[in-house]
Amino acid sequence: MQTKEITFKHVGQGIPRRDGDEKVRGLARYVDDLNIPDCWYGVAVRSPVAHGRLKTLRYDPAFDFDQVCVVTPEDIPGKNIVDMMGQDMPFLAHDLIRYRGEPLALVAAPTRQLAEQAAAHIQPDIDPLEPLYTLEEVIALHKTDRSKLDELSAQTIIKGSVDEGLAAADKVIEGEYWAGHQEQLYIEPQGMVAIPEKDGGVFLQGSLQCPYYIAPELIVTLGLPLEKIRVKQAAVGGAFGGKEEFPTLVAGYCALLAMKSGKPVKMVYDRCQDIRYSTKRHPAWMKYRVGLKNDGTITAIHVDFVLDGGAYTTLSPVVLYRGILHTTLGYNCEHVFVDGRVYRTHTFPDGAFRGFGAPQAIWGLESHMQECADALGMDAEVFRLKNYLRAGDKTGTGQVISAEMDPPAVMLETLKRSDFVNRRTLNTYGVPRDGKFFGVGVAFFGHGSGFTGDGEMRLQSKAALDLDWLPNGKPGVNIRISSTEMGQGTLTIMPQIAADGLKIPMACVDCPLPDTKYVPDSGPTVASRTAMVVGSTVYGAAEKMKALLEQYASDAFFGGHPCHLEDGVLTCSAVSQSQTFEDVARRLLEEKGMQRVVHQFKLPDTVVWDQKTFKGDSYPSYSWSANIVEVEIDALTLEIKLKKATSVWDIGRLMNPVLAKGQIEGGLTQALGYALMEKMGIRDGLFDADRMQTYVVPTSLDTPEFDIHFMEYPYPHAAPGAKGVGEIPMDGLAPAIANAIKAATGIRMNRIPITPESLWEAMPSTRKEIAS
Amino acid sequence: MNPETERTWIINGEKMSVTFPPGRRLLDVLREDLKLTGTKEGCGEGECGACTVIVDGELIVSCLLAAGQVPDGAEIMTVEGLEKTEGGRLLQASYVEKGAAQCGFCIPGMIMSSYHLLSRGEPLSQPIIREAHAGNICRCTGYEKIMEAVSAAAEHWPKSEAKS
Ligand code: FES
Ligand code: FES
Repeated sequence: MQTKEITFKHVGQGIPRRDGDEKVRGLARYVDDLNIPDCWYGVAVRSPVAHGRLKTLRYDPAFDFDQVCVVTPEDIPGKNIVDMMGQDMPFLAHDLIRYRGEPLALVAAPTRQLAEQAAAHIQPDIDPLEPLYTLEEVIALHKTDRSKLDELSAQTIIKGSVDEGLAAADKVIEGEYWAGHQEQLYIEPQGMVAIPEKDGGVFLQGSLQCPYYIAPELIVTLGLPLEKIRVKQAAVGGAFGGKEEFPTLVAGYCALLAMKSGKPVKMVYDRCQDIRYSTKRHPAWMKYRVGLKNDGTITAIHVDFVLDGGAYTTLSPVVLYRGILHTTLGYNCEHVFVDGRVYRTHTFPDGAFRGFGAPQAIWGLESHMQECADALGMDAEVFRLKNYLRAGDKTGTGQVISAEMDPPAVMLETLKRSDFVNRRTLNTYGVPRDGKFFGVGVAFFGHGSGFTGDGEMRLQSKAALDLDWLPNGKPGVNIRISSTEMGQGTLTIMPQIAADGLKIPMACVDCPLPDTKYVPDSGPTVASRTAMVVGSTVYGAAEKMKALLEQYASDAFFGGHPCHLEDGVLTCSAVSQSQTFEDVARRLLEEKGMQRVVHQFKLPDTVVWDQKTFKGDSYPSYSWSANIVEVEIDALTLEIKLKKATSVWDIGRLMNPVLAKGQIEGGLTQALGYALMEKMGIRDGLFDADRMQTYVVPTSLDTPEFDIHFMEYPYPHAAPGAKGVGEIPMDGLAPAIANAIKAATGIRMNRIPITPESLWEAMPSTRKEIAS
Repeated sequence: MNPETERTWIINGEKMSVTFPPGRRLLDVLREDLKLTGTKEGCGEGECGACTVIVDGELIVSCLLAAGQVPDGAEIMTVEGLEKTEGGRLLQASYVEKGAAQCGFCIPGMIMSSYHLLSRGEPLSQPIIREAHAGNICRCTGYEKIMEAVSAAAEHWPKSEAKS
């Protein structure tokens, strides 16, 4: 499929979001807004220790448990496991406890208060074991005695011979980089409601990203066939990966309680519960060893990449894969060795968060590339442009950068727009000017679009279009996909795409929130894949629906002569007649009822991936960007202010520039938090910043002047040609800021978040004396 | 049993009476007792601003205010009441057009801050607009489009709804 020949009418327009009106009027129904009669409330009985063995649960005889419903492992109809990778997580811990707050039992009651009271009257007896909490402890053991660590996943990438490459170098530059936990902090906390169905099944509605994760994963636990587990998305108040795999847990808790009690059961976490007992971005440690020639050539890249996985495997292997694939992405090098590992700790399992391992990797990569440039005395952009991948070059897995991409283009444009070369003459290099340090920094990066490796081939995403009566009583087309709307704009871009494939007005196309009763599995709403993969699948289905309508109109209206649908009108030139889409659709619906077409996504046969050796085409395509930032630091308080962020993005063809820009602005703001503000420690096995007062994210006063610009290099194998946009804005800001801080102060900060306190710690003692 | 408190308020221009136990948060009375679920809870501790409403012309976070502290006859405006005012409709249209809402969960509170700011009728600048929304956390947008929406609405703000 070549995108060039296609003309678009709706794709590419900044059409206002379809769900905007209900959202600004307060009418959108999030899970806690649903009015469900006779709904009980669910809570978990949680472990007070992080590591130990559960002996018994003691029920306080003074409490009347008859008024509530209690679920313990014995009540689980299927297997007591969460059917995710590793299958090492029980729904309810019954023997070994691996994190503080791990659920041991569940309680539902007519009110939240009563449920909480009942839970407080169930006391566990636990033999405590020694816990391992932090990445710092993990890395100390990783360096000295790995036998003491529990490895959840490991993967290498090998290209050429890294020893040979290092031996050929004039210089070898080493550096270690650390990144902490990050909380998604969607403003709507986790929530779900389970309603028992008459046929013994269960109907789940909630705040979730992936209906077809929850339904099949719960088969094992609930002992129900897939068709008896119905999952419907309520309006979602932000997700960012935090509602990717995690909602299966809340769904399971609610479903177990609903099935036992026979009542609808709801759980909505309060903010403190949400932060303590839901997934975070994996903390990461990286060690780079890069071989360099004096002329700036990179001869070898050796990376150790370690993630703290938390208590259970969940998605960590896949986060590791995406992480290691981005540790060298963008740089041309013959000899690469990446050693990736995930270790278990006794904290809440880490999970999906926008970027999925890539922000950690690019934080290390782009910090270290700057160190390499500095060590050679080369300018940041000169070193990068010398080594950056161009069409025809090969990545660390041997993937050839195809001709439709031009990675350095975004870099060149960002340099121009930011006036980098002139602005950097103002860098203070450790000597404040008028009480301030000033620096400009750059980061240059790519992000894989879609599932890693052959994931998209294995997923076989489907999209259906139903010709049907729309809620407005008119005939039209319903888009049936499992992709969720969580603020990014699915409900708007999909109708844009379908309308263009069908050649009908957008008003004739609807995209309801997914409900597994009606939608096929289009895959999860993750991995920067929705616009590219599902968008293209919807486009394919739209072309089929167009053909179906043309065939029907030809037979029913034009005496068998062929006709052509364009701009909502079917025209038959042979008989010089035309019919509107609406009239044709009406007749077809009245005559034959609802019409469904289904299309399945396919990658070009040229995509080849070996999951064992990690060789081949690691992603169907890549988005590219460069970020150039200006940072000002108060020389007395060391307050760090991001003043300006210039960025240029190749995310393929733009589906909707207003929504795309919204993704970039929002993602950059989260990246700003990751770089400078969002700090999360562990205290007694719990996240210490467990409220919005202590976990501080950017406000309207913290964001910089943004200059955001797009360069469109459409993906040619999947019309309409989008690549990924969701995750890439999270990737590059932290290293760009750290590089600017180095230009300002002369200090390489190798741990995010970078705070005034950590900057003070890193100051040489001479400087501290001057400042104090 | 604790005695119930009884209050009659003008909510979004309509007279409504409600009884609730002492100590109940205004947020719960609005969402649960009066089924005005437009107003959201994001943190329950006054930090996120999703629960922001206007009580007698004052911007307040309804998660921190005991409903009993709101006197009889008080005028309360929530997101559901915006469309009854010209300025509110203007703001809503501007938010939609500029792409200021993404997931929309912060919006019921955010837009009340916008309405409160614009209806004061004071001279505006970018820093003033930013400051006026600093109590509303949005995790989706990066605030740019919200600022644009407020600036655009300010240009056409109806004189009748400017108080000063
Ligand atoms: S819920 Fe009231 S400020 Fe967050
Ligand atoms: S739009 Fe999602 S939090 Fe503001």
